[in-house]
Amino acid sequence: MKTYFNDLPKTALGASYWLFAVYLVLPLSLMMVMSLKDANFIAFPINSWTLDWYAKVLQDRQFINASLYSIGIALATTVCATIIGVWIALLISAENIWGKAAIFALACLPAVVPGLINAISMRIFIRALDIPTGTFAIVLAHTVHAVPFVVIMVLTRLRSMPANLVDAARDLGADPFIAFLRVTIPYLMPALIGGMIFCVLTSIDDFVRTFFLGGYQPTLPMLIFAKVQGGMSPEINAMATIVLIVTTIVGLYAEYFTRRSRS
Amino acid sequence: MVDTTMQPRTVTSTAPPRYAGWIGRTVNSALYRNTIGLLASNRWVRLAVLAGVPLIWIAALHLGPILQMANISFLANYPPRPGVDSGYTLENYGFFFSDRLYFMPFVRSLIFAAVVTVSTLVIVYPVAYYVAKVVKPKNRMRALLLLLIPFWAGELIRTFSVIMLLANRGAVNVLLRELGFIDRPIPMLYTFFSLSFGVVYLLALYMLLPLYSAIEKIPTPLIHAASDLGAGPFQRFRRVILPLSKDGIVSGCSLVYLTTIGVFAAPLLLGGPNAVIFPEVIATLFHGSNDKWPEGAAFSMLMLAVSLTTVGLFMRIVGGRSVRLM
Repeated sequence: MKTYFNDLPKTALGASYWLFAVYLVLPLSLMMVMSLKDANFIAFPINSWTLDWYAKVLQDRQFINASLYSIGIALATTVCATIIGVWIALLISAENIWGKAAIFALACLPAVVPGLINAISMRIFIRALDIPTGTFAIVLAHTVHAVPFVVIMVLTRLRSMPANLVDAARDLGADPFIAFLRVTIPYLMPALIGGMIFCVLTSIDDFVRTFFLGGYQPTLPMLIFAKVQGGMSPEINAMATIVLIVTTIVGLYAEYFTRRSRS
Repeated sequence: MVDTTMQPRTVTSTAPPRYAGWIGRTVNSALYRNTIGLLASNRWVRLAVLAGVPLIWIAALHLGPILQMANISFLANYPPRPGVDSGYTLENYGFFFSDRLYFMPFVRSLIFAAVVTVSTLVIVYPVAYYVAKVVKPKNRMRALLLLLIPFWAGELIRTFSVIMLLANRGAVNVLLRELGFIDRPIPMLYTFFSLSFGVVYLLALYMLLPLYSAIEKIPTPLIHAASDLGAGPFQRFRRVILPLSKDGIVSGCSLVYLTTIGVFAAPLLLGGPNAVIFPEVIATLFHGSNDKWPEGAAFSMLMLAVSLTTVGLFMRIVGGRSVRLM
């Protein structure tokens, strides 16, 4: 009897975990199952099955163009955000810099400001500078959003770096740039890769910034949004399933990579 | 010829090292050697190279947009047109309080965010505790990963997938009808219920990770000690586990609250006419035919100020000096 009472909380906790896991997985699996439905509207039950929607999506020029456009934006964002993020992290980790805490707080500001306000303030900002909405504006906004995360990841890694590594390189005759290139960068690599994949995924995923800053060419989330609003067919499910599978593989790889490098 | 040698620390040889490939070509170019020489000789140049780009970036793109938004929120007209008054005014803020159409969604938004935050905390806490303390260490990563996988799917796709579950001909309604519980579908989509369901679904991860890392740090012997001293499960939770996981609770709640305030795609897809929250109101001021940018900027400023103040107060009151947002 006593052991039963001791085990009760543990059982309840286990149940809560599995219920939560089901809660997370169920909608997505329903969405994937629906992509196989052989009818042109979304509704349960599913009586006949087909793979046609996938064939249709993979031949859809709109989908392919939007994917390529999204990937291009994500890559440009990643390059910019990584360079600027590392630079800011180096500044914060440097010795005898005045006002480090303030710089760090301001560097993290875009991560704390709610996404919608971030997007709107960016929209106002580019209008003040006469920058048109479109690709450049999107990349700028995505970069601003991604920089804080790169800064945090790189700073964490920099803190664990033995200070005498760079000193040793300098003693052996490397100038600051060479020391940075051949000692600091390789040491930061795991954080950099993790940060880059994070940048790619958040950029591809972003809806609200693109909604306010985008031009006429739709990104992937904009395309899916437009299709969801304008009448639903299992085609959207097939599209979403393809995106889901690709991003999950990339995400899992990032997870695996950062875990391996941490241990 | 500029002296290109670095100030040697312990090295006696001043001969430049040799490198192969593009590094070698760069290092031996005159431009590079002059730059490095300048860097070595002048402290201010070093500082400028290190701090220039980061400080300009932060000032221009992290602060600039917010300041410009604040500026516009006080303008009578924007963009300035000839013949129209474009001086500074407080009218845009007055406009907000003058109309229930704007005021109510704002209040609704704040309440909504609080409800979502509390529900996420209640739902996720036992899960985080289970993974951090009950699961064996060697299985812990796998248990966590199973929960992380759905979050790689992205905001829009996850929001869309909620429709599959809650629509009138979605899984829940069809299942209930097959089982004979209901005759006609329960309208769940386009209500506050579907919106909360979707947002909790979107943001649970932001609660899970801080909670998990806070709970994992609680030394298990402490819990055992409390148990040995006669504390029951409830007392152990209230007097040991809860206070020690405070940091995780504070950062998880702050993250979820701030993200919920700014959530945009979910209300568009899952909220209906009866579940209009503030972000949609702001968006209509920027899109659509009547673009009222000063009013929109004022509303955004209000929302930003209120949400950041709430979170600041929450952190101050609940404590947790070592709160990290990430």
